[in-house]
Amino acid sequence: MANLTLTASPALGGIELEIGQNRIAERSDLAIVSIATPLGGKDILAKTLNTGWSLTMPDPIMSTVEGNTRAIRTSPDQILLIFPHGTPDANATVQKKLNGTGYTTDQTDAWVILEISGPDTLKALERLCLLDTATFEIGQSARTMMEHMGALIIRLEDDRFMLMSASSSAGSFLHAVETSYNYVS
Amino acid sequence: MTQPNRLDGGQIDRTRKLKFSWNGTFYSGYHGDTLASALLANGQRLVGRSFKYHRPRGIFSAGSEEPNALVQLRTGAAQEPNTRATTIELFDGLKATSQNHRGSLEYDLMAANDLLSPFLSAGFYYKTFMWPKAFWEQFYEPVIRASAGLGRLSMEPDPDVYDHGYLHCDLLIIGAGPAGLTAALTAARAGLRVILADEDFTPGGRLNAETYAVDDQPGATWAAAVTAELQAMDNVRLMTRTTVYGAYDHGVYGALERKTDHLANANGKPRQVLWRLYTKRALLTAGSTERSIAFGNNDRPGVMLAGAVRTYVNRFGVAPGKKVAIFTNNDDGLRTADDLRAKGVDITRIIDARQGDNVVNTVGRKGLHTVYLNGGRHVEADCLAVSGGWSPNVHLTCHHRGRPVWNEQIAGFTPGKDLPPGMVVAGAANGAMTLAAAIRQAHEAAQSIAAGLGKTVRDTAPKASDETFDTAPFWHVAESKTRAWVDLQNDVTTKDIKQSHQEGFRSVEHLKRYTTLGMATDQGKTANILGLALMAEAQGKSIQDTGTTIFRPPYNPVAIGAFAGRARGKDFRPTRLTPSHRWAEENGADFVETGMWLRAQWFKQPGEKGWRDSVDREAAMVRKSVGICDVTTLGKIDIQGRDAAEFLNRIYANAFLKLPVGKVRYGLMLREDGICYDDGTTARLAENHFVMTTTTANAVTVFRNMEFARQCLWPDLDVHLISTTDAWAQFGVAGPNARALLSKVVDDLDLSNDAFPFMACTDCTVFGGTPARLFRISFSGELAYEVAVPARYGDAMIRALMEVGQEFDAVPYGTEALGVLRIEKGHAAGNELNGQTTAQMLGLGGMVSKKKDSIGSKLSERPALNGDDDMRLVGFKPVDKTIGLTAGAHFLSPGDPEDMAHDQGWMTSVAYSPELGHSIGLGYLKRGQDRLGEQIRSYSPVRGGNTMVEVCSPHHIDPEGHRQRG
Repeated sequence: MANLTLTASPALGGIELEIGQNRIAERSDLAIVSIATPLGGKDILAKTLNTGWSLTMPDPIMSTVEGNTRAIRTSPDQILLIFPHGTPDANATVQKKLNGTGYTTDQTDAWVILEISGPDTLKALERLCLLDTATFEIGQSARTMMEHMGALIIRLEDDRFMLMSASSSAGSFLHAVETSYNYVS
Repeated sequence: MTQPNRLDGGQIDRTRKLKFSWNGTFYSGYHGDTLASALLANGQRLVGRSFKYHRPRGIFSAGSEEPNALVQLRTGAAQEPNTRATTIELFDGLKATSQNHRGSLEYDLMAANDLLSPFLSAGFYYKTFMWPKAFWEQFYEPVIRASAGLGRLSMEPDPDVYDHGYLHCDLLIIGAGPAGLTAALTAARAGLRVILADEDFTPGGRLNAETYAVDDQPGATWAAAVTAELQAMDNVRLMTRTTVYGAYDHGVYGALERKTDHLANANGKPRQVLWRLYTKRALLTAGSTERSIAFGNNDRPGVMLAGAVRTYVNRFGVAPGKKVAIFTNNDDGLRTADDLRAKGVDITRIIDARQGDNVVNTVGRKGLHTVYLNGGRHVEADCLAVSGGWSPNVHLTCHHRGRPVWNEQIAGFTPGKDLPPGMVVAGAANGAMTLAAAIRQAHEAAQSIAAGLGKTVRDTAPKASDETFDTAPFWHVAESKTRAWVDLQNDVTTKDIKQSHQEGFRSVEHLKRYTTLGMATDQGKTANILGLALMAEAQGKSIQDTGTTIFRPPYNPVAIGAFAGRARGKDFRPTRLTPSHRWAEENGADFVETGMWLRAQWFKQPGEKGWRDSVDREAAMVRKSVGICDVTTLGKIDIQGRDAAEFLNRIYANAFLKLPVGKVRYGLMLREDGICYDDGTTARLAENHFVMTTTTANAVTVFRNMEFARQCLWPDLDVHLISTTDAWAQFGVAGPNARALLSKVVDDLDLSNDAFPFMACTDCTVFGGTPARLFRISFSGELAYEVAVPARYGDAMIRALMEVGQEFDAVPYGTEALGVLRIEKGHAAGNELNGQTTAQMLGLGGMVSKKKDSIGSKLSERPALNGDDDMRLVGFKPVDKTIGLTAGAHFLSPGDPEDMAHDQGWMTSVAYSPELGHSIGLGYLKRGQDRLGEQIRSYSPVRGGNTMVEVCSPHHIDPEGHRQRG
């Protein structure tokens, strides 16, 4: 056995950018685990979500949040659970509480998460996202396309959003977001 | 730098003087000027040359309908031809030049064309340049190409940036004239989210150009006050410099906002933004456009639309001439006289066609100086204000193929019944040609729209008076003996229209193509109705019966750069990178695009002269010791559920139900029609948990098809899918030393052949605790594994693997060596799965299970796909080993003619095999399985190969599979 250990590298190296009064930051501290509802297991999963995380099952296009944990509804039988977690065992952590009431897949490494905020955020999103983000409720989420890349968008506050896209194209995604801010601020 | 034609008043800021250059001479203007108003203020009447005859031309209008005053703006790479001087906002340092002349603007050598005009009438190019035939490419075409067009491109890449954007509203109001402003105020007060767009930089429309009063204030003052009120409202977005150019499906409108065109320096910001507007309703208040009258030599500099003359006088404080004559067929034209007199401009004559007076000719080589009337009279004038009536701007109402309706009362087309869904039209665009009527109509429309969207407002329409409006259709002066222009931009005269009719091009669409009437940047905004009327007259039909061409987007020209937006160069599409990308860059990788992925195709080492050196070395080292290849790009799909095995059993042609936990199986997917479309491996990690691998190219297609099957075909199955392609960094480790290398990587796992045999899989950890997955699968035919770690460890993993691999002289290998290895082994890839391939052709017919139903299995049994004469995948090697094989070559029996009747198959893949020391190939050959050892011709008429090859097993190396199982 070689005396080597592996060090994690976030997709964008944990980048933080300031453009005018706006901020773009990679959230590499968050883990993402998808939870699929077993056929006929909707109620049990909702209950487990409540007992395990005090979360209610989010309605379509919405997310629910409790403490640091957020559940985002991504399809009729799937949610993403997002929570701060540093080690590559998020799946096991979630399954411990779920105890088999949902099918889980660790999605942490599949996505890059950007948190964007600042006074020009809505204007920047006008250049990036074809949805009417100005009317999003706090916590509202949507799957959409941004500059030809699949994306998830969640409104956290009036001028703070979380954007998620594929980790392999994280560089292109960051470029798209950064360009949007540069063009409007 | 004096401005000899500048008057008092106007909406210009005289405290902000601006310097600009025109054809290299510096002039001054004021903030609030357009280039056109500034040129006129400086006495510049001649601004360009006409398209065909190179006639001197001046400024004709004051808006985007301008047919004449097309100029080249800016210099160097940023030079833009064919911009309309009437829409260019003046800025300090603006540089513009005239276009379409050889020599100076004043002395254009091409003006000789005007003398040849009898030979250059409509459609002349269809009738000439016929002989001699050889002259066409050598002479005619180059000459015509050199003469065509107006301005010149810089031939350099556009240095400006452009962007796209998306906006949403309850109500889009198109045009911020009196009607648009009124409607916006009412709708906004009702609480609607309103976008008010106008192509001008100052809202107000004709209110800025006329001396009307609204709510007892000067119209321009009222417009400014309403604009200020709207700007202060959160629910209103006022978009000036924005042209709504198209009405599309589902309430979507296209708009172009000119962001920095009015600035000397854009500072890196987009010059223009192309907006997609999502609307619940749209109100078209685009006003109307004045048209001309066709009379002799009506194209001279100084001949100008009467409404434009009022615009220059009232809005810009500029007199288009010192002595102005007016030629009109309506009351609106007479207003010009009042406005000019009020500014002290000399009116030399009012010529009212309704009273039998006509202009028959004009004189003045580079600018008008005399106007000749019927009856032999003449009058001196350096400006002739012409008004032939106003045409409602109905263009956007026709973008869903709606047809406008002729309205005799206003002598113009008004919107028909088939409007784009959600669109309402009000004001002059709807035929309400007087101010109070337009305002009243817009107010009512806005109230009605608000009510329809569940909002109410109790406000009253602004007060205004209806000016007199009396028009008598009058299109051309029959007594004119000289040429009379209909379309100034395309040099179309009344004679051309008549000729088109005489030669049988009578439909309006034919008229347009034959004469070019209504083409180019202005799309005939000032000319179309005149042309139609003349054609109607020639045919003895009404204008309604003659019809109109269909209006299509864009309403005004849109730069191609704006359509492209940011998608230029490397930003044309996103790029996907594997976690080892940075390491690969550091180690001499040459990358290839595979869809959006960038994959290392080989790693160049010092001393290697070409790609073959690198690829041969990499492939040889895999066979000799061990190589490492990033295979992250292969699609990975996580499949879970109580019925996951049953689901896979229906998806794959071969059996999966009984795949044991801890095992991987090769799987073949068929389309509904029984043709193979993807292959890969699927590992069973737990009873209800599988991980599928797809080809890189088909990852999305396979996922989509499986999701469709899950949701729509078998919703009763408990199965769930999610892509994990990006979640795992996966590396192929192949070669005789693969096990030895991995035993130094994987924690506490017995990798012996007994404990972890071919096609085994497991969860494990590597390098002291990092979670990983290990699969014993082989694409190269060697002892091989694929090891996956969470993507965040991908960079560290490749570095650690290479460090550990030093002991074994491990090499990284790219997609080219991967290709060589798989061809040597005889594995099918994209070249072989070309959408026509059956399992039987691949030699995998036996894999299609007859004991179960799966997608495509039934149709794969069709007799046509299972004949004795079918193609079969076999291997090929050159008889002369020094010769390279050619992919795409076709197989022929020796002596057979080279035609499709004797075609026996084709070569799908070739490679030089370092292992065998010669070129090898794979391909499909009729009855190939029965022809091993036969020599045939490999013939490529495209690439020039004509080689004798020997048919052999597709498994060029280790056909028994000892290496991969060892």
